Amino acid sequence: MSKSLLIKLGLLVLAFILIPALLMGFDKGYYYQIATIAAIFMLLAASLHLVTGVAGLLHLGHAALYGVGAYVAAILGANHGIGFTLGLPLAGLSAAAIAFLVALPTMRLMSIYFAVATLGIGQMLYLVFLNWVGLTNGPNGVMLFSGINLFGLEIDSDLGIYYVVAGVVAVSILVLNRLSHSYYGNALRSLREDDQCASAMGINVTVMKIQAFVISAFFAGIAGALWAYTTGYISPNDFHFSQSILILTMVVVGGLGSLPGVLIGALLLILLPEALRSVGDIRNIIVGVLMFSAILFLPKGLFGEVSALNFARRVLGQGWAAQKGEKGIGWK
Amino acid sequence: MLDPYILQQLAIGLSLGMIYALMAIGFTLIFGVLNVVNFAHGEVYTIGAFAGLMAISAFGPPLLVVLFIALAAGALAGFGLERLAFRPFRRFSDEASLKSRAMREATLMSSLAMSIIAREAMEMIFGSQFQTVDLAYLINKPIHIGPITIVNGDLIILGVTLVMLGGLQWLLKKSPIGLSIRAVSNNALGAKYCGINTDRTIIITFVIGSAMGALAGILVGLYYGAIFPSMGFTPGIKAFVAMVMGGLSSVPGAVISAIILGLSESLSTSFMPSVWSDMVAYAFLLLTLIFFPQGLFGARRERV
Repeated sequence: MSKSLLIKLGLLVLAFILIPALLMGFDKGYYYQIATIAAIFMLLAASLHLVTGVAGLLHLGHAALYGVGAYVAAILGANHGIGFTLGLPLAGLSAAAIAFLVALPTMRLMSIYFAVATLGIGQMLYLVFLNWVGLTNGPNGVMLFSGINLFGLEIDSDLGIYYVVAGVVAVSILVLNRLSHSYYGNALRSLREDDQCASAMGINVTVMKIQAFVISAFFAGIAGALWAYTTGYISPNDFHFSQSILILTMVVVGGLGSLPGVLIGALLLILLPEALRSVGDIRNIIVGVLMFSAILFLPKGLFGEVSALNFARRVLGQGWAAQKGEKGIGWK
Repeated sequence: MLDPYILQQLAIGLSLGMIYALMAIGFTLIFGVLNVVNFAHGEVYTIGAFAGLMAISAFGPPLLVVLFIALAAGALAGFGLERLAFRPFRRFSDEASLKSRAMREATLMSSLAMSIIAREAMEMIFGSQFQTVDLAYLINKPIHIGPITIVNGDLIILGVTLVMLGGLQWLLKKSPIGLSIRAVSNNALGAKYCGINTDRTIIITFVIGSAMGALAGILVGLYYGAIFPSMGFTPGIKAFVAMVMGGLSSVPGAVISAIILGLSESLSTSFMPSVWSDMVAYAFLLLTLIFFPQGLFGARRERV
């Protein structure tokens, strides 16, 4: 109990006191930028984790759903005067709506066929971003000048933006944590292991898969809105197939099915290229090499699923511990 | 009589389809023997184009030699790719691990990692902009046939592809190598028990498939005169679509779907702006997956 509380408090202190203090110490816009980008990608990786890691659906179009969120937030903000407070949930909801439409026909496909279908849909959305000039401004992208306006409170300092992003990301990751470490998450894991068996045990496979896909798209849309508001400019290239692969790499390097691992993977893959900036052009090659060696030498990921589940049960989920006179059989 | 414009689009679409077919064959052969998707195939195509380009700028050989150099570079790339990205993940060869999802995903990701490394390395060496190709080598001299105008590249691509397809068909159906490739793709473990060297067969498959992909790369590079490190991405996806439409492991199916894809893509430009023509391929992909999940020409499988 006390240990779990300590770790939770420690993470909160790290995210909301230590890192801001460090950022204030350096006080350079560049560091704030990296911190917010890392937070956004942690959310993206955590949302892909729900689909690919927990439910076991190889999803190759995640960046496009993230792009839907970003474009919705940016276009609403730039052309229709809808601010951050309303734009953020709207971005998430529209990404989720598109994911729902996409999921209806494709969710019955198995493994590699599903991966191919998501790749195709991701590419279609990318083409829409790139070529529907009337709506998305085509390759020139959308500029978003209005800053973050939180319930009438104008937030324009770098530190304030970091706090808003970190807050939204922390709440979203908390929700994803509760979803993937619960009875619900266990049901999703059973789909991944053997969907026919899960279906025989009374789990509605298609509905569960659609739910996981839509929830993940919702958080991807939230991440997109955060991206649009923090960078102030989005273009189709931010949502290219290679971004989907980057997010997938975070999930794989961190560990399929392990939420803490995925967050570490996201941090690593955002911070490492920045740390290697001085090396110049070679850094992307290093990312590729890192990905390759992670698959070869750490097939379970940096923080494998089994140890991650043990960690989550011991430290994050007190509900798991058996109460006196009860059998500890599952998550609460 | 068809409209000359439509006829011309058909000619262009046919050469486009042939290029996709050359690439789709590599995808299909590799998927056949290993049951995994090789995501680095697009980079093999780029490597073929760059190998041809370097040969041209180094000593200016005749076109046929350039094509053979691209073939050789592709074969070498395929060999290296198999050794680096696929071989290390085939540590266990029992049936369960051959079919396991974890292994398939590992090879998928490792081929992706290899493609990132290859593309970034090429970008570092050659720069990300278009390379200029010696004008004498471009295969876009116009030829007038009746009311339509095609370029000699259309004929060269058609001829080269037909020769390659014929050769491949002979190889697969008549030669002992082809027999072992077909055996491994039918049942890897069974082939092993019959004394077929599966590792060697897999390498040969990679070499053949990648050589064809590289050939497609240099042909397109000379046809459009545009060679750049990320050129392999879009044709790679198109070839992938053709493979899925053809039923994942059927070579004739993949070729026919690739030609359908090329034709419909070039015909679609008469109805909509050409920037949207990529949409046709993805629409085909989704429609195939939803309505013909086992592919248009594929054998029936248990679950898709």
